[in-house]
Amino acid sequence: MADIGKVRIRVPSSIKAGDVVRVRTLVIHPMERIERDPQGKVVQKKYRYIDRVVATYLGKTVAAFDTTQSVSENPTFTFTFRATDPGTLTIVFRDTHGATYEGKAEIRFS
Amino acid sequence: MTRARSISRRRVLATLGAAGVAAAGGGLGAPRRAEAQAQLGLQESVQEALRRVLGGRPVKDGAGVVRLDAPLIAENGAVVPVTVEVSSPMTPASHVKHVYIVADKNRIPIIARATLFPESGQALVGANVRLGETGDVRAIVEQSDGTLLQVRREVKVTVGGCGG
Repeated sequence: MADIGKVRIRVPSSIKAGDVVRVRTLVIHPMERIERDPQGKVVQKKYRYIDRVVATYLGKTVAAFDTTQSVSENPTFTFTFRATDPGTLTIVFRDTHGATYEGKAEIRFS
Repeated sequence: MTRARSISRRRVLATLGAAGVAAAGGGLGAPRRAEAQAQLGLQESVQEALRRVLGGRPVKDGAGVVRLDAPLIAENGAVVPVTVEVSSPMTPASHVKHVYIVADKNRIPIIARATLFPESGQALVGANVRLGETGDVRAIVEQSDGTLLQVRREVKVTVGGCGG
């Protein structure tokens, strides 16, 4: 699992000013599920999963997710934002162990 | 004279150190509080989860406004793509604030809470979720005026994806 924290962001290839842009993002992360011991009791430990995703563009948050262990391994998220000016879209993922993973996409107009 | 000065310097440093420790303690307190607040996913029934998260407010039917896109049959419960689309003007006065994705039969029913802003431009969120077994998936939308709208849909799951 050396790839943990790899972030991929997909935006449309051609964006015009003022467009509402649909973004798909993926992060490589195990999103640990609840484990049970042979007696069927839940193992109490600090599970490692992503609990917060924040997307910012031009210094403003455009979308955020609070997530739980019910989200798939290597989760993908879709959201939209209005592209008013060229700039960088930054998506930050945070997991319960305090690690953060960041991905950036340049938004340019064509 | 020199000795007196050095003692007082030491004392000053000690006081500073103590203050530093106190400040660090205060700094640690803040994230701990945030963590307790962020307990979104607990093992509970869906009724308890909704009461806890929504505070018992009435939820209206959102048919026609909210569109929940999920497969009818999910062969693999570990990865089920779910998309929620809400027709909303997304202006500062009237926009979608939160979108909750909830699976009734999951041990952790609340899957995700998306927070949107007028800058989002459109109320569309999607995520890949886990479904433990066949059951309803709900999308609950909270608008900026506090109205709650709900749409639900049954998803048949061939192989559960929650384990545990």
